[in-house]
Formats: sequence, structure tokens, C-alpha cells
Amino acid sequence: MAVVRVKRPPADRNIFFQVAGYVAEIGKGMRLTMGIFLRQLFKREASNTLEWPEQPADYGERFKGKHFLTLRDDGEIRCTACFLCATACPADCIHIEAAEHPDGSIEKYPSRFEIDILRCVFCGMCEEACPVDAIRLGPEYTMAGAAGEKWVYTKDYLSQRSVLEGGVTSVKDENTKHPDLDREDAAQTSHLKHGVH
Amino acid sequence: MSIAITINEEEFTAEQGQTVMELAQQHDIYIPHFCWHPGLSIAGVCRFCMVEVEGRPKLEIACNLPVTAGMQVRTDSEPVQEAHKWALEFHLINHPLDCPICDQAGECGLQDYYMQVGKYQAQMTQAKVLKPKKLDVGVDLVLDTERCILCSRCVRFEDEVTKSGGLGIFDRGDRAIIGTYQNKRIEHNYTTNLVDICPVGAFTSKDFRFKKRVWFTQEAQTVCPGCATGCAIDLAFNADLKRYYRIKPRFSEVNAHWMCNFGRGMYMHLNVEQRLLSAYSAAEDAHKPMLKTDTAHIVQALAEQLQQAQQVALLVTPQYTVEDYRALLAFFVGKLGIRNVHQWRSRQEDTEKFDGVLWRGDQNPNSRGLLEVLAEFGIDKQQGNEFDTLAAGNYDLVIALAPQVLATFADIETDLQKLQELPWVSLWASAKQVLDYRYQQVLALTCFAEQRGTYRNYAGVERQLHAATSPVSAEIMSITALVEKLAACCKAQEDEHGSS
Repeated sequence: MAVVRVKRPPADRNIFFQVAGYVAEIGKGMRLTMGIFLRQLFKREASNTLEWPEQPADYGERFKGKHFLTLRDDGEIRCTACFLCATACPADCIHIEAAEHPDGSIEKYPSRFEIDILRCVFCGMCEEACPVDAIRLGPEYTMAGAAGEKWVYTKDYLSQRSVLEGGVTSVKDENTKHPDLDREDAAQTSHLKHGVH
Repeated sequence: MSIAITINEEEFTAEQGQTVMELAQQHDIYIPHFCWHPGLSIAGVCRFCMVEVEGRPKLEIACNLPVTAGMQVRTDSEPVQEAHKWALEFHLINHPLDCPICDQAGECGLQDYYMQVGKYQAQMTQAKVLKPKKLDVGVDLVLDTERCILCSRCVRFEDEVTKSGGLGIFDRGDRAIIGTYQNKRIEHNYTTNLVDICPVGAFTSKDFRFKKRVWFTQEAQTVCPGCATGCAIDLAFNADLKRYYRIKPRFSEVNAHWMCNFGRGMYMHLNVEQRLLSAYSAAEDAHKPMLKTDTAHIVQALAEQLQQAQQVALLVTPQYTVEDYRALLAFFVGKLGIRNVHQWRSRQEDTEKFDGVLWRGDQNPNSRGLLEVLAEFGIDKQQGNEFDTLAAGNYDLVIALAPQVLATFADIETDLQKLQELPWVSLWASAKQVLDYRYQQVLALTCFAEQRGTYRNYAGVERQLHAATSPVSAEIMSITALVEKLAACCKAQEDEHGSS
């Protein structure tokens, strides 16, 4: 066991000397605070404070906020109802019902796609699991609402809510390997698929 | 004659004529394969089950390699692993790898091996060959020829098991596809077996398609209640949602690897929307629908009625387990001495019918079990429908055990109608349809998927049921549990009478 010797403070110092140090530090702090306050009051320096919500705050593009579903070129929902997001979701908040698409060129699509936003933990695993870039976590972060509001986001809300301005089209390469589609088209885009099964 | 051979330096004794694949399967040594299936002939087309044999210059396919004395086989050496890798690469040349929309994902051989031994960077530079997709080729079948790896299991199944020969491989080389003959569809009672044996997602089932990803389901090993054959099945369900999704055959002596499409529908009546979820009793106004009532009250009422009634009869369908019949008869026949036990069967069944593969005209899983238990209690009967005997019998109390699977009772509506005209009926049922009629009381029973027990099939073989999940509602119980409750009620009443 090591013994550390510590110098004792002198016991006989005047109370005035003990307090003086604190007062000096308070003075320094007040000078900083009042300096900024006065400079910003007389507009010598810009303020970092926002008048939220009138003045919106911008987060980075990678911010994981409210989810949205992307669309194909033709405006159809891109999601293929593979359930990988629902499988990856640690909060078990994604509910999908898959169905055969009425239009024959798309095999499988989600007839229902719902996110229980109260359960969601915004981890972004759904976005990561998605093989076709169909679900993304967007920059929207205001999700407050009154009790009794719909906390389960439906497919229409996720893909077409007004903020999305008609929906976000994903530029990810489409799987064009379908005989109903033009074979030339398929040949043109298939070079993108080389090297990847 | 037995032969000693070694697999991976471990010694085994094999039978003359056995293949290395069979021996390996027998001892749980896994050799990856696509075209080999224990229930079909050997094709040797997928070239995936390569093994190394000491002293032979090239790798050999295990499925078509008969054992010879002193053979030294390796299934895990480097050349074997390299062969797997390349065989997989060839299989994937024209495979679309659309696992996200493929229903086979999660139980697909190709997907599993791709994850295990795949070369993730393909070296193929040609565009994939496009082939017809989403073809409706028959009952419960959707065919995607792009996903097909031409293992020919389905062609062999059609040729060897059902002998209907409905499928063939057409065209050659990379354009070869599986298909049906012109203007022909595959229409027999065993089509969904093609979906089971397809090692990839080329055949998918219309019924199960897109309903549930397989990794969200669990499987219970139980027995099909659809007919007297009693095929061993894996019943897929989700325990959290208490929903049942599909039935697949499980290997057993009785059914080998197969089962019929009719039996695959036996999960539908298990789901909550088809079920009777609580007990009901008659409303005071006889024209009004029955009222939901506490099970304890109804059992009490039944016990009181049992005390008063002069003539009591049982009407029993052969769709419950041997254990349930024993409990039922031990109380009613053994204790109360009621000997009026009647069988309730469909009038339109042809019990002698057999389709040559598995399906039988006797659409009750436990016809034999019921007769045997009746005989144990000294009631000897022949198999047959005795509903009319009961209806003519002038009984003041009839306890009727309704069929679980109403689909097998062609004239169930007539019988239920006739039953409601009898003076006092306690109907024990599991299907919701019985609520369309008016009986004195209805008690809710569990289904085959919610209980353990035994069926005796047409040949007298014992078939063991295993419970999948707890019952869909807390108010429903097995016959054994109901009889116990009833016995306790009767005893309490007797004690009361005795003391007063």
C-alpha cells in the first residue's frame, strides 16, 4: 500500500484571503456573460439562439427522423414487402402485409405498411436492412401531437405526406429482369448488375 | 452384408447397395445437395453433393456413389469446398436472386449455401437469361422458371409418386425450363408437394404465398386430422399472434415424405375468426340467438340436467383423441352408466375409398380409436352413422360432440338443424358455425393443434398429436378438462343432496 503525502493548507489564513479567490472568479464569469449579452443586445455579434418553431433548425442530411417510403419512376411504391426491415427492427414497430400487385409487372408489394411511431427507437436499422432503398429516415424531427392522434403511420402517409411534395423517387437501379418489360431495356441496365448477383 | 467404410476418418458400417449419401444422412453427416431427395430416384444432375474418395482422381457425387469395402470418404476437404463454391456459382448464373420477393427465402437451399460457401463476387459477365415468371401451372402452384435450377425433383415426383407425368424439362442449355405440356395443368390432390420438394423458389404455393415470412413462424410436429391415414405434419404457426399459416408433411412410416392438398387445408379452421371462443346458452326467447355465458355456469346447468334427465344419450364424432374418449366414457358410461353412445359421421362419406397414394374416404382421423375405446367400455359397435337412431331415440338430454373439421362433413348443416329440434342438447364444438343454430347450451372445445393426444389411423397405428400453442381463447378447453369439471359439479350436487 502506497502512502501519498499531502501538504496541509495553512490553518491560520485570514478568511478574507480564502473568499477573495471565489469573488474574483465570479467577476470573470460575469464579465464574459455580460460581454456577450451586451454585444448581442447592440447587434455587434450574431446570436446562436433560434426562435423555434417560427425559425426552423436545420439538421444534417444524415439525421434519422421521421420515416418515409420512396417511389419508383412510375410513382408506384418501391417497397417489395420483403419484410427485412420488420425483421431487423428491434422495437418490432413495422407491420407489413404483402400482396400480389394488381398490375402484373410487379410481383409483390405491401398492401399495408405501417409504422407504430410510438414504439420506434429511430435506430435506422430498417433503412440499413432495406435491399431496394425503399425506406429512409428523413430530416423531419417534429413529431409531437395531441393525445388521440394517429400514431401509426400508414403507407400513404409514409410515401405521400405533404412534406414529401408528391413523394421521393429513389434512383437506385431497378430490377429490370422481367420478361414483360422491354428486353432491350433490360440489356441496357443489366451492365449495372455485373459483378453483383 | 455389411461393409465398413470411413467418412471424415470416422468408421461406419453400411449395407450393400447403400449410397454414400444415404449413409451420411443416416448418421447426420450433412452433404449439401439439391437434386437428391430421399423419396425420389437418383438423378445426379445438380453436381452439388461432391465428396472426395481416397484413391480416386476426381471428386464423385455422393448421391450416386454406392459404398464399397474400405472406402475412405471426405466431405469437408479443400477440393470439396472448392467444388461447392463453383457448383453454386454455376447454379447462380441465371438465377435472379430475387430473395426479397421470393417466398422460399428463409428455407431455400440455394440461399443457405450462398451464405455458407458463396463466392460473393460473381465472375460471370454475360447478362442473365430471362425466362417466364409467375406462371399459373396448376392447383395451388405458381411457377417461376427463372428461379429454377433444373434439379428435376418436380419432374421425378410427377413421374414416380403421383404417376401423372405432368411436368417436363423443355429446351436446352441455358434456355432449358421446367414446364407443363401444352394446354395442360397439374390438377391432382398432391400438387403442393412440388412446392415442398423444390429446393429453390421456383414453385410457390398460392395459398401460402406472401402470407408470412417463414422465419416468423414456428413449427409443431403433429398429425393431420383430415382423414383416416393420419399423415405426420409440421404445422406452421406464430405463437405471438396465435395464428396458423400452413401444413407441410413430415417424414413418417405412414405418409413417407408426402401429404395431400386436402390435408393442407386443415389449418384454416384453427384460426380465431373460425373458432367458437366461449360457451353459450339459450336465450329465454327461443327465437333469439344464444347468449355468451360463463363456462362454469353452463357446466353447472348441465350437471343439474343430468340429475333430472331420464334418458341421456351421447353423440360422438370420430375426430377427437383416444385420451378424450376415455375421459368422456369413463364418466358417462363408467360412472353414470349411460350406454346410449352413438357415432356421428358424415352421411355422404365413402369409407372404402382410397386414392392409391394417401387420401382416404374415411375423413375422420380417429374412427378406429373411437370404436376401440367404446369396446373397452363394453359397447361393441360397427363403424357407421347413427345420427338418425339418436334423433328417433326420444332422449331428454343429448350431449353431442360436433366435428372439428366441418369441411369433411358434407351434410353438417342438415344434422345441426335436426339436432336443434331435439328437446335438450348440450353441443360441444370448436367451430363458430354452430352459433347459427339454437341449442340449450354450447361449450367451446380446443382443436387438434392445441392439445396432445393419440389418433388411431385406418390400420390401427398410433399417431401422436403435439400441441402447437395455447388455445386461442382462455374460455375453451379440452374434452378431458370439461368432463373433469362436470364430474366435480355432479359430485358437489350429490354431496349437497346427501347432506340435506
